[in-house]
Parts: sequence; C-alpha cells; structure tokens
Amino acid sequence: MPSTLAVEAHGLVKTYPGRRGRPPVQALDGLDLAVPAGTVHGLLGPNGAGKTTTTKVLTTLSAATAGTAKVAGHDVSRDADAVRRAIGYVSQGTGADPLLTPRENLVMAARLRGAGRAAADERARELLARMGLHDEAGRRTSTLSGGTRRKLDVALGLVDAPRVLFLDEPTTGLDPEARASMWQEIRSLAADDEVTVLLTTHYLEEADRLADAVSIVDHGRVVATGSPVALKADIGAASLEDVYLHHAGRAWDAEAIR
Amino acid sequence: MTAAPLAAVRAPWPVQTALVTRRWLVDGVRMPWGLGVSVIQPVVWIVLFGSVFKAVTQVPGFGHASYLTFLVPGILMMTMLYSGAWAGTGFIDDIRSGVMDRLLSSPVSRSALVAGQLVQQLLLSLVQGGVLLLIGWAAGARYAGGPGGMGIALAASLLLAAAFCSVSAAVALTARDQTALIGISTLVVLPATFLSTALMPVALLPHWVEATARFNPLTWATEIARTAMSASVDSGVVVTRGLLLLALATVTYAWSVAAMRSYQRSL
Repeated sequence: MPSTLAVEAHGLVKTYPGRRGRPPVQALDGLDLAVPAGTVHGLLGPNGAGKTTTTKVLTTLSAATAGTAKVAGHDVSRDADAVRRAIGYVSQGTGADPLLTPRENLVMAARLRGAGRAAADERARELLARMGLHDEAGRRTSTLSGGTRRKLDVALGLVDAPRVLFLDEPTTGLDPEARASMWQEIRSLAADDEVTVLLTTHYLEEADRLADAVSIVDHGRVVATGSPVALKADIGAASLEDVYLHHAGRAWDAEAIR
Repeated sequence: MTAAPLAAVRAPWPVQTALVTRRWLVDGVRMPWGLGVSVIQPVVWIVLFGSVFKAVTQVPGFGHASYLTFLVPGILMMTMLYSGAWAGTGFIDDIRSGVMDRLLSSPVSRSALVAGQLVQQLLLSLVQGGVLLLIGWAAGARYAGGPGGMGIALAASLLLAAAFCSVSAAVALTARDQTALIGISTLVVLPATFLSTALMPVALLPHWVEATARFNPLTWATEIARTAMSASVDSGVVVTRGLLLLALATVTYAWSVAAMRSYQRSL
C-alpha cells in the first residue's frame, strides 16, 4: 500500500454559530484523519455525526474553526485553489444542471477548469463512455433515472482527473443494481486509476465491501480507524455494526441525528 | 492514472464568465414559458396602464400630448425592475440542487459565477427592452429622439437592470430561500413603482411622493429614457442620472460578489 498520505487532518473543529437563540452546534470536535494515497477510505457514521462537515472542510467548501488539514499535499485553508485543482467532489445532491444534457454538463465543467473546446469535448466523450452514459449523453439531465444521474455526478467529479475524489453518500436512493454498478466503478477508480477515494456513507455494508480502511465518526470525532477486517478482529466482532456498538457505546442507527 | 489534468492554469476570468453566461442562456431557452412571460408582461402593462390612465393628458399640468409616449419609458424601466427582482432564483435552485457546492469546490472564480449570470440577465433585458419599444411604437407611442435616443434609453435600462439583478442575487445568496426572495422582492418592487415617475409626471404626484421619487433609481432611469426619446434631449439629466445609476450598479454588483463569498464562509 502506498505510504504517502492523500488526506490528513489534525484536530479539526467546526462550530456553527447558534441562530435565533439556539446554542452553537459543534459539528466537528477534534477530528483526526489519515488516508493513504490510492486507497478507498470510508467515513462511517449516522446522520449528523460530522461526515459531511468533514468533507466540506476537506473540499474547501467550508472553513474549519480550528485544526489543520492537507489534501493532495496542499493546505485546505492556505492553498485552497491548489486543493480545488486536485480534487473532485460528488455531493449528496446532484452537481449537474438539470436543464443541460450530460454531455453539456461535462463539457462546461471541463472548460471552466481551463480545457479548450476540443479537449473538453474529448474528456466528455471519455467519461460518458466510461460511465456507460453514451446513450443518454444528449438527453436533458432532468429526464434521467436516479442511478444514471448519480453516474453523471461521478463523471463530473472525475472531469479533471482528480488525485482525490470525495463521494458523499454516492449510493443513497439507488436500487440494488445501480448500487452494485457504482461499487464496481469506485473499486476501479482506486485499483486502476490510483485515485484516492474518500467515501462517506451510512451503509455499513457498503463500507465493509468497498473500503480499504474506515474511520468511524461519532459526535464530530473519529472513535476508531482501520481496515474493516482489523477493526472486527480487534474486538472479535462479526460485523461493523458490532464495531460501531463497541466504539460509540450505542447500537447503530443510520438515521440518528445528534 | 489514465487521464491527465485538463490544464495547468484555470480558464481566464472572461472565459469563465462567458461559460457561466452561456449556461444560463441555454437554461433560459429551455424554459420558454419564462421568456414568453417576460415579453408578454410589459405588453399587458402597456395595454392596462395605457387604457386606465389615458385621460390623464387632459389634467392641467400633465404636459405631454400622448400618455402612451409618456408611458413607454416608464414601462421599460418597470420591466427591468420586475425581471431583475427574480434574477436570484437561479442561485437558490443551484444551492438546493448541489450545483453550487460542485462549482464552489472547483477552481472557478466566485465573481465569474455572479458576473456570468448578470450578463445573461442583461442580454435578456436588452431583448425585452427592444421588443417593448417596438410594441410601444406599434401601439402608437412615438420616439422623437430617434435611434440614438432609444439607444440611450436601453443603456439606462441595462444599468437599472444590473442594479436590481445584483440586489436580487445578493438577497438570494443571503436568504437562500425562494419564499423569502419573493416576499422581499414584492415588498420593494411595488412601492418602488408607485413612488416614481414611471406612471405619472412629477407635477401630478403628492408632495411626499415627489420628494421620495427623487431618490428612486426607477425615476432616474425613467427620466433618462423620457428625455432621450423626446425631441429635445436634456443632456444634464442623462449624465447626472446616468452616473447615479452607474454608481448604484457598481455598488450592488460588489454586494452580490461579497454575498457569494459570504455564502461560502457560512457553509
């Protein structure tokens, strides 16, 4: 396994100010993370644990209140533009303009990142073929099925050949067939393209099957990290549910909100 | 890695802005009902206000032979106000869908995201304004100032549109809620219309309305268009009101860019 770290975070804190008389919300509370390059790393935790906030800080969307983080060797706060060049981000929502076609979305994303017209067309063609979107390339995105739109979102994340790809709940709402297809693509990204994938998910099975290592996030901190096999072996657990119960002190509930 | 990064440097700012403009133009064309309404609305106003207030020419102090000729510059600026007020809705759609997150996590200039949408709105406003002047002429309004006067009127309308589009964008990026944007727009746009000289000359306005109308950008733009399209152009009005509108458009654009940055800081 490569030894260089593609993502490293130390003591990340993110506090959202309270609004309308409510107390401030501490979304991250000293989160540490180390993700070797070329691996799939799962950020695991129920809704509200701090997974999406971690992703937002690492993708430069959001500034941490305290702590430091580097992505692809660049500091997220001091060198945000270099981080943005090195990453792809697939958020929980769709990243595609619903009125444009998949091809138009991809060409525009490539051109915004500095590609000329011909290079952008070529990149769009490659990604449409890779994601099996060729037949839908000229249809309006709003008319595509959920699984096809999610593939387009991943293609948009890959448009600038990122070194690190952030996938935030990539399979939520997908049917089993579309989910299996997405898993295959994620595996191939790390194995064949040497892309580091940081995957946030509240599906334990997904993390177990896909990730080289997982970090269990609870109340804004990483409470356990390691390969799924090692985490289970350490405590003699049969599943990641048991690992979660052991480290978080309560049963797994994907819908739990802090 | 099978694919290589696309470029060593990001696209220049004007190219990014043009790409964003193109995206919004394509979106606009694919929502034809929006374009249709934006052209039909001023026609309805010309017919409605033109009919209801037709007799006002007989009121002493009105000072214009044709209410329609008087009205068209006012309707032109009202159109800019009402269209501009909705400009921010696109940003709210992008925030809700996730498009904004993808754009902000990429090396795209924040000001290009704002400027690109503004340019699209101004192109749309230019088409709206041109069509409106033609329809007004067909209905019976006459523009003694000729093509030059119409050009000045359209330029003033674009400055007004720029200001209101920017305000709408700033409010949208701050409130992030369609209902709030609609509420605030309605609250501002209707009083702004009646506290101006768009529909009535200043001599016929109550004193307190007249005093307020002097500080209303809708009045500034309407006064420019009215004098520019008349037989005798008052260049002092064109220059002073034009500079006021330019200053307002500059300040509000800066506000909308600041609102985009503030939106990201709040994430």
